[in-house]
Amino acid sequence: MINRQKVLEVRHLQTQFRTEHGIVRSVDDVSFRLDAGEILGIVGESGCGKSVTSFSIMGLIEAPGEIAGGEIWLEEQELTKLSKRQLRKLQGKDMAMIFQEPLTSLNPLLTVGLQISEVLTRHKRLSKREVKEQSIAMLRQVGIPRPEQVYHAYPHELSGGMRQRVMIAIAISCGSKLLIADEPTTALDVTIQAQILKLMKELRDNLNTSIMLITHDLGVVAEMADRVIVMYAGQVVEEGDVYEIYRSPKHPYTKGLMNSTPKIEEVRRKLESIPGTVPVLSNMPSGCRFHPRCPVARDKCRAEAPQMKLLRPGVQVRCWLHQEGEVELNEEFKRRAAAGG
Amino acid sequence: MKSYLLKYVLQVIPVLFIISFLVFFLIFIAGDPVALMISDNATPQQIEELRESLGLNEPFFVQYGLYMQGLLQGDFGTSFSYKQDALQIVLEKLPNTLLLGSLAMLIAIIIAIPLGILSATRQNTAWDLLISGASVIGKAIPNFWLAIMLILIFSVTFQLFPVSGSGTVMHLILPAFTLATGTAAELTRLIRSSMLEVLGQDYIRTAKSKGMSRSLITYRHAFRNCLAPVITITAMQASVIVSGAIITETVFAWPGMGQLLVKAISLRDMAVVQAVVFVSAFAIILLNFIADVAYRLIDPRIKYE
Repeated sequence: MINRQKVLEVRHLQTQFRTEHGIVRSVDDVSFRLDAGEILGIVGESGCGKSVTSFSIMGLIEAPGEIAGGEIWLEEQELTKLSKRQLRKLQGKDMAMIFQEPLTSLNPLLTVGLQISEVLTRHKRLSKREVKEQSIAMLRQVGIPRPEQVYHAYPHELSGGMRQRVMIAIAISCGSKLLIADEPTTALDVTIQAQILKLMKELRDNLNTSIMLITHDLGVVAEMADRVIVMYAGQVVEEGDVYEIYRSPKHPYTKGLMNSTPKIEEVRRKLESIPGTVPVLSNMPSGCRFHPRCPVARDKCRAEAPQMKLLRPGVQVRCWLHQEGEVELNEEFKRRAAAGG
Repeated sequence: MKSYLLKYVLQVIPVLFIISFLVFFLIFIAGDPVALMISDNATPQQIEELRESLGLNEPFFVQYGLYMQGLLQGDFGTSFSYKQDALQIVLEKLPNTLLLGSLAMLIAIIIAIPLGILSATRQNTAWDLLISGASVIGKAIPNFWLAIMLILIFSVTFQLFPVSGSGTVMHLILPAFTLATGTAAELTRLIRSSMLEVLGQDYIRTAKSKGMSRSLITYRHAFRNCLAPVITITAMQASVIVSGAIITETVFAWPGMGQLLVKAISLRDMAVVQAVVFVSAFAIILLNFIADVAYRLIDPRIKYE
């Protein structure tokens, strides 16, 4: 952990949308940091604010949405204070993003070559020839065979995996230190998924790129991430290194997520699930946002919202259970089951 | 490409056939052309002779068959009133209508593209409301009324343009503008709605995440993706312009096919009416074909099949 250089730090980020039903806060008080060469996994169910967090960082939140509070530090710059024009100079150059659906994320009417070279033309002082050479070099770097031909191809002529490689080539073409990957493998076959994940790991190893990996797939996180953030209803509920989170989840929600993932070494009759659904953002429950679905909720959880509690350096949890020190969650579950019947 | 062309031509033939039948039938039931051709003092015998010589005593299908026989040989018949080859008369007027129609289309496109884009990129602002409102009005105003208003304001009051007739560029401005309004309004609305749809697409978000400038996003990434529907509708609007030309040319005494058609209908000059309808139908089919080819060139996903 020593000598690690901070690339991204998000402090108390609040992002909200103005809707017909009033203001909806999709991201509420989210804080985390990401160091150079680190892969940070962000997990949570659909609608928990993962994507909105990443769009906020990338400066892609537009009316009726807005960043209502907090700070986003990309190295030495505070992004929420920048004008749109200043942000555009950073987008694609110092921070880049790849998206879930590579087919719709590429412009169908423009060649792959143009879509890579326009970002180089935008951010770098290069001659036309250099732009083309570098674009082809980028395609080669992300493992695209026959890059000279693919340069002239249109997105629909490529397979899903190839398209996602093209997206990655665009994202890293200007040497961005931060790569935000929003469900980058969700739309791909399992074998292709493994290839793309391997490619992203290589980028981290070779270019020291920091990757913010957003996913709902715990398997992907386990394979890729160094640290994990678990989000629920617009908030971070748990943060820790990947082994810690898998070995002993602190938050009942994280534990629920783990239990609802099938494991290959276990024989189960029925896959567990977390009862209930993610609360509607415009109608948040009182107290802890997870309490209506929590098996170990107490009166206090219903009345008062817990704050993030630092258990150990790098391990934080937002749960009343751990406020007076760390509690073994399995024990607590058993105790509750015995007491409640 | 070859099989695509062949398929297109094969589709066109029945269309032209149906058009010829409909026009022939409608004029057949509309009334007796002889009554208009001959003087009031003609004896019944003279009328009968004329009818006989024109083949008007034959049953409908025989008349139609004779007509189609000529048509297939490129003979549209002889005009009763002009005593001339009907196609010849129409082709003489065609350049005037083409000139007026293309200028109107050009004006419509020049107005519609920037306004459509502006109202989409500034959605729900005063600009958008103004443009959307104006396009509803533009669509609703009838050509004949607009033509008369334009004449009253610009020709009579300010005397900037000639009232009617032809000969100079100035004669062309008011009729072209009249003809353009409806199409401009339609295209503005279309461009606005398809721009709004495209601006919500994932690839626009990608372009934004690359830090592309607003103008590159609007034109390179968004507008290009609207072009396919815009081109299709523009070609379809050609038929609106052709039908609009009938009234506009009459009001401005512009010597085109529209004016010719109105005269020919009132005289029940069947050959001329047929030729006008045929030539316009053919022009519209040709334009649609060009549009079809054009958007295949724009969108690489569409293949010739």
